[in-house]
Amino acid sequence: MTIWDLPKQSRAQISGLNQNISSDLRQRLEEMGFVEGQIVQCMKRTPFKGPLVIQLQDCIYSVDKALAEQVQVNAA
Amino acid sequence: MSSMQKIILVGKPNSGKSLLFNQLTGLRQRVANFPGVTVELKSGKFDQFELVDFPGTYSLKSISQDESIAVDQLQQAVKSPDTSLLVCNLDATKLERSMVFALQVQALAKEHGKGCVFALNMMDEVARFGFEYDVKALSAKLGSPVYAISAKTLIGISEFTKALKEHAANPQSASVQTTELHDLSYVKAAKQLAEEFGIKQDLVLKRQTKLDNFLLNSVLGAVAFAAIMFFLFQAIFTWAAPLMDAVEAGIGFLAAGVSSLLPEGVFNDFVNDALFGGVGAFLVFVPQIMVLTLIIGILEDSGYLARAALICHKPLSLFGLSGRSFIPYLSGHACAIPAIMAARTIESPRKRLITMMTVPLMSCSARLPVYALLIAVFVPDTSYLGGWVNLQGAIFFVLYFGGIITALIVSKVLNIYINQDENKSDLPFILELPTYRLPHWRPLAYKTLNSGVYFIKRAAPIIFVVSVVIWGLGYFPSNGNLQESYLASIGRFIEPVFEPMGIDWRYAVAILVSFLAREVFVGVLGTMFNIADAEENTAGLAEQIQADGFSLASGIALLAFYVIALQCVATVATLKGETAKNRYSWGVFVAYGLLAYVVSVSIYTILA
Ligand SMILES: Nc1nc2c(ncn2[C@@H]2O[C@H](COP(=O)(O)OP(=O)(O)OP(=O)(O)O)[C@@H](O)[C@H]2O)c(=O)[nH]1
Ligand SMILES: [Mg+2]
Repeated sequence: MTIWDLPKQSRAQISGLNQNISSDLRQRLEEMGFVEGQIVQCMKRTPFKGPLVIQLQDCIYSVDKALAEQVQVNAA
Repeated sequence: MSSMQKIILVGKPNSGKSLLFNQLTGLRQRVANFPGVTVELKSGKFDQFELVDFPGTYSLKSISQDESIAVDQLQQAVKSPDTSLLVCNLDATKLERSMVFALQVQALAKEHGKGCVFALNMMDEVARFGFEYDVKALSAKLGSPVYAISAKTLIGISEFTKALKEHAANPQSASVQTTELHDLSYVKAAKQLAEEFGIKQDLVLKRQTKLDNFLLNSVLGAVAFAAIMFFLFQAIFTWAAPLMDAVEAGIGFLAAGVSSLLPEGVFNDFVNDALFGGVGAFLVFVPQIMVLTLIIGILEDSGYLARAALICHKPLSLFGLSGRSFIPYLSGHACAIPAIMAARTIESPRKRLITMMTVPLMSCSARLPVYALLIAVFVPDTSYLGGWVNLQGAIFFVLYFGGIITALIVSKVLNIYINQDENKSDLPFILELPTYRLPHWRPLAYKTLNSGVYFIKRAAPIIFVVSVVIWGLGYFPSNGNLQESYLASIGRFIEPVFEPMGIDWRYAVAILVSFLAREVFVGVLGTMFNIADAEENTAGLAEQIQADGFSLASGIALLAFYVIALQCVATVATLKGETAKNRYSWGVFVAYGLLAYVVSVSIYTILA
């Protein structure tokens, strides 16, 4: 399951990033808080498969489908 | 001259660096509430030092080309012997995110033997939540001095200023001490610091989440978005109207007074036609430009723009753009030049290029005078719903909308033709949504006033010179008979080109000279109509044009021309600077000129 599959208002725990993303992007995402064990909450979904709004620790991010599908989560 | 010692100001995006920079240097850098406002290094004088404001970054490891430029510049600056001190600005409401980057910078400072201090900014917000930082313990844990400040309410700024001077004069006093924290990775260390010292997140995010529930709601959010945009353009008209009337009356009064003092003759005519007619005609529009800047400023500082970018991401991606294109598009309504620069934060080079090339289609404030004049000629000033909706204002909205639609169509076309290879370096869309804030009134007031001053400073000299030349050519040789002047001969020569738009030589001349600056259109027409007007009555230019007779079809054609045409040398130069290609600068200039002509001629042909 990835962040993209999270229903609205639900929480999950990040289990890792997909293997196929570049190492630079991986590092950046980790620095932005996408690290294993971190709790994410899906705050909003927008219509027509638009970007998600997620809360990750102290930040609220908006991420599009392409990115959300790269982050694996375990339902918490 | 010995070069000044440098102090470098860095930090995560939207953490308040530029506001702090402004407070320390007295300069007026752009401050707004979304990540990625500063895109270029800016220096200012702080005491005997040079303070350098950097673009915000999340990491020292860059993932896009523009980021890598900023990061390289930072690396260079840290290495330079001129640099004495690094200041890491932290957003105290987001300690963990701020720390990841700040710790990297601290390590860099250490590596090069530079001093490093932390500015824990936004203390006013932290205090509002009833939280207090243990600054001493944080400082001990970090191994660097920490100062709690607020760049907005100036808490702790005087102590910080004093300490900064001392540290800069004696960088040893701020040299980094190694602590056990430095054994951890940056990400882990930041997490530990946040858990130990940081403010609890639920507290900070509660209010923001409530507002977002409304503003990002699928239905209500879309309605709110449309309402905000409509209100923006409506307000330019309704709020500014009384001020504009006042300016117009003032100029008329002044013109009548001066004219009655001067003896009859050529000089009197010159003052009346060229000065009051030409320059005066465009001063009337300064209030509108200020209202526009005020409203865009409020939106920028509220935190809503990042939400708007998110709402627009999906629709814009259908046209090959990104949600981030929204911000350049919106600020393009004030002026295309900063808007083109703002496109640097767009994650994909290809989307950035398309955004830059289409920003000039946004109706910038230089077009305002032209729109307002022509609307005043054709559209009655009726209001509905108790003055909330004004017909002239609604037409304004249509014109702005026309520019946006054209930009989207052009984007779609460009998207097909621009090399698909550039897709490779595309990054996914990720945007941090900032905390909602009440706009800070002082920078806002300054921004608003400055927009008026800047508009006058930029356009007035050109308008003055053009008005004088046009007056000279239009007044002689037959002392005030416009139709038999030199100008008329020149005008009739170019008239055939513009005839398919249904306009006579006077408008043709005005269009041609407005390639120097769009506002000149109004000034030049003002001059010509004043020469022709024998009684020298001081009626507004719109009434003079109405009395002269001007068909609706050619009015619409003319408006369409101004919506599309790129008549601004500075914009071309900026495009050239940002893309380094003639194809994307002069090419765009020629293409929009031709497109404007074709659309305008088609409209006239259909309507007439
Ligand atoms: N409440 C509060 N708001 C602040 C403070 N400092 C800055 N802000 C606000 O934070 C927002 C961002 O400020 P900027 O100075 O533009 O941030 P920046 O770090 O330069 O951002 P980038 O240039 O995008 O990296 C603006 O809305 C400021 O008004 C502060 O001390 N308290
Ligand atoms: Mg800044």
